[in-house]
Amino acid sequence: MSFFISLPHTLALGAILFTIGIIGALIRKNALIVLMSIELMLNAANLTVLAFARARHDNTGHTLAFIVIAVAAAEAAVGLAVLVGIFRTRRTSSLDEITMMKQ
Amino acid sequence: MNGWKDSLGNFDPNALMYQLPFLLIVGFGLLVLVLEAFSKGSSKRWLMWVAVVGIAAGFIGAYLAWKKLGVMVPGDAQVVLDIARGAAPPSTDIPYRELFDGMLIFDRFGVFMNIVFLVGALLTVLLVADYMKEHGFEFGEVFALILFATAGMMLLAAANDLITVFLGLETMSLAVYVLTGSWRRSPKSAEAAMKYFLMGAFATGLLLYGIALIYGVTGATNLHTIATEAPKVGSNPLFLIGVFLVIVAFGFKIAAVPFHMWAPDAYEGAPTPVTAFMAAGVKAAAFAGLLRFFGHALGNERLVWGPAGWGSLMWLLAIVTMTLGNLSALRQDNIKRMLAYSSIAHAGYLLIGVVAAGFGAKTAQPAVLFYLLAYTFTTIGAFGVVAWLGNRGDERLLVDDWAGLGSRHPAAAMAMTIFMLSLAGMPPTAGFFGKFYIFRAAMEAHQQLAGQTGMMMALVVIAVVNSLISVYYYLRIVMAMYFREPARETSPLRSPAVALALIGSALFVLQMGLLPSRYLDMATQSLIGR
Repeated sequence: MSFFISLPHTLALGAILFTIGIIGALIRKNALIVLMSIELMLNAANLTVLAFARARHDNTGHTLAFIVIAVAAAEAAVGLAVLVGIFRTRRTSSLDEITMMKQ
Repeated sequence: MNGWKDSLGNFDPNALMYQLPFLLIVGFGLLVLVLEAFSKGSSKRWLMWVAVVGIAAGFIGAYLAWKKLGVMVPGDAQVVLDIARGAAPPSTDIPYRELFDGMLIFDRFGVFMNIVFLVGALLTVLLVADYMKEHGFEFGEVFALILFATAGMMLLAAANDLITVFLGLETMSLAVYVLTGSWRRSPKSAEAAMKYFLMGAFATGLLLYGIALIYGVTGATNLHTIATEAPKVGSNPLFLIGVFLVIVAFGFKIAAVPFHMWAPDAYEGAPTPVTAFMAAGVKAAAFAGLLRFFGHALGNERLVWGPAGWGSLMWLLAIVTMTLGNLSALRQDNIKRMLAYSSIAHAGYLLIGVVAAGFGAKTAQPAVLFYLLAYTFTTIGAFGVVAWLGNRGDERLLVDDWAGLGSRHPAAAMAMTIFMLSLAGMPPTAGFFGKFYIFRAAMEAHQQLAGQTGMMMALVVIAVVNSLISVYYYLRIVMAMYFREPARETSPLRSPAVALALIGSALFVLQMGLLPSRYLDMATQSLIGR
C-alpha cells in the first residue's frame, strides 16, 4: 500500500502545530517559552501557506513564506532584546512576577 | 532587447512619485540613524530637527501625490491625455494607481492617511526630545524609530495585498515595541514593552494563520481578487475562520475589548510621548487596514451581516469596546491609564464607522478619516500636556497632581480643557464633529438596510449613551484643574518644541471644530480606489 503526504496531511500538521503554539503562548508563564510558542505559531502558518501554494501551483504563497521568515527573525531579535531588558531590571523572566502595573 | 528597461517590465519610474512620502520618511529615518552613529557628544536633541525636516519633506511629498492623483484615471492612458489637454475628469471613477504587481495601491485615501501619520509623527518628535532630556534617557535612535514606524503605517495604508498588510503592520509594530521600551532604566517601560511585544507577536501569529486560510480558500492574497472571490466562498468554514482570525489580530492592534488587556499597562509604562504615538498613529494605521480589508474589499452585504458575517462580529466588538472602555476609565486615578481606557473607547466608536462602511454607506469612509485626524490632534495633545507637566523622578500622573493647574498655568490648563472637551465630543471642538459624522454614517447604513434590522440604530444609541458617560471622567480633570486648590509646586518642562506641539494641536482641534467643512471635503475626496 502506497502512502504519500497530501494537502490534508500538511494542513492538519499545520493546524496541530498552531494549536500547540496558541496553548503554549496562553498558559506558559516563562516569557522565553511564550516567545518560542509564538514562533511556533508563525511557522505553523508558514507551513499552511506553503501547503496551499503547492496544491495550487501558485507562487504568491512562497513569497509570503519568505517574507514571514524575514519578519519572524526581526521579531525574535526585538523580542529577545526586550526580554534581556526586563531581565536586567528584574532578574526574572516569569510573567507572574512581572506585575508592577496592576488593576 | 532594450537592456535594463526590459528587465523593469511594465514598471514606470515616474510611478515612484506616488510613493514620495514613504520614500522620504524611510530615507530620513536612515539618515537620522547614520548621523546618530557618527555624531559626537551626548546631546542628541539636534537630531529632532533632522526628523522634523524629514517629516516636513513627507508633507510636501504627500501634497505632490495628492495633486498627481487628482488627474489620474484608472487604466486609460487616453483619458489621462484628454485631461491633460483640459477635459474634465470623469467624476464617477475614483483615481487610483496600483504598483508593484498590485501589492500597493495609491489613492487619496492612502494620502490622507499619510497626512494623519505625519501629523502624529511630527507632534511626537516635538514632544519626545525634551521629555527624554528631562528624564535622562537621550537616544537618537528614537527619532529614527518614529520615522520607521511611520513608514510602516504608510505601507499599511497603501496595502492592496495581505502580504503588504502583514509587512506594514510588522514594520510599524516592531519599531513601536522598541520605542515602548526605550526608557531603559525604567522598570515600568521594560514591563510595558514586554507586554506589548508578547501580545503583539501573538496577534501577528493569529493574523498570519488567518491570511494562510484566506489564501488557501480564495487562492489569492490580493485584496481585489479576494473581494471578487469572497462572495463565492463566503460560507466556507476555513474562510470564516480566516476572517475571524484577522479580526482578532486587528482587535489586538486597535486594543478592542476583549483583546485590550495589554493596552493600559503598555500605555502607562511607555514614555508619555510614545504612548501618544501608540494611541494615535498605531490605531489610525490599523483602522486604515481595517477599512481597506473589511470596509472595502469584504464590503458585500452577504458577507457583512448574518450569523457568520464579519459585520455582526464587529458590531458586537464595537459595543463591548465602547462600554467597557468607558466604564473602566471611570475608575482610574492615573491620567495615563484613564487616557488609555479612553483610547480603547474611541476604538469602539471608530469600529461603528468600519461596520457602516461595510454596508456601503458612502459617508462612512470620510467620517472615519475625519475622526482619525481629529483624534490624532486631540489625543497627542492630551498626552503632550501630561508629558509637559512631569519632572525627573516625578511624573505627576495622578488626577490629584493636577489640582489648581488652572491658576498656575492658565494656558496649559486651557489646552488640556480643549483636548478633554474634544475627547468627550463636545462642541466647538474637533471631537464633536468626528462623532457626529460617524453617527451620521451609521444612520445612513441603517437606512440602506431599509428597516430590516435596527442594529445600526442600536449601535448609535449605545454610542451616544457612552459619550455621555465619558463626559464624567474627562470633566473630572477639568474640575480638578479649575476648582481645586493647588496641591504643590509645579515646574513643568521649559521647552519651546513642546509648547509649539501643544499650541498647534489645540488650535487645530478648535479649527476642526469651528470650520470642519474644509477637512470634511478633503476626507470626502479621499475614497478607497478600486
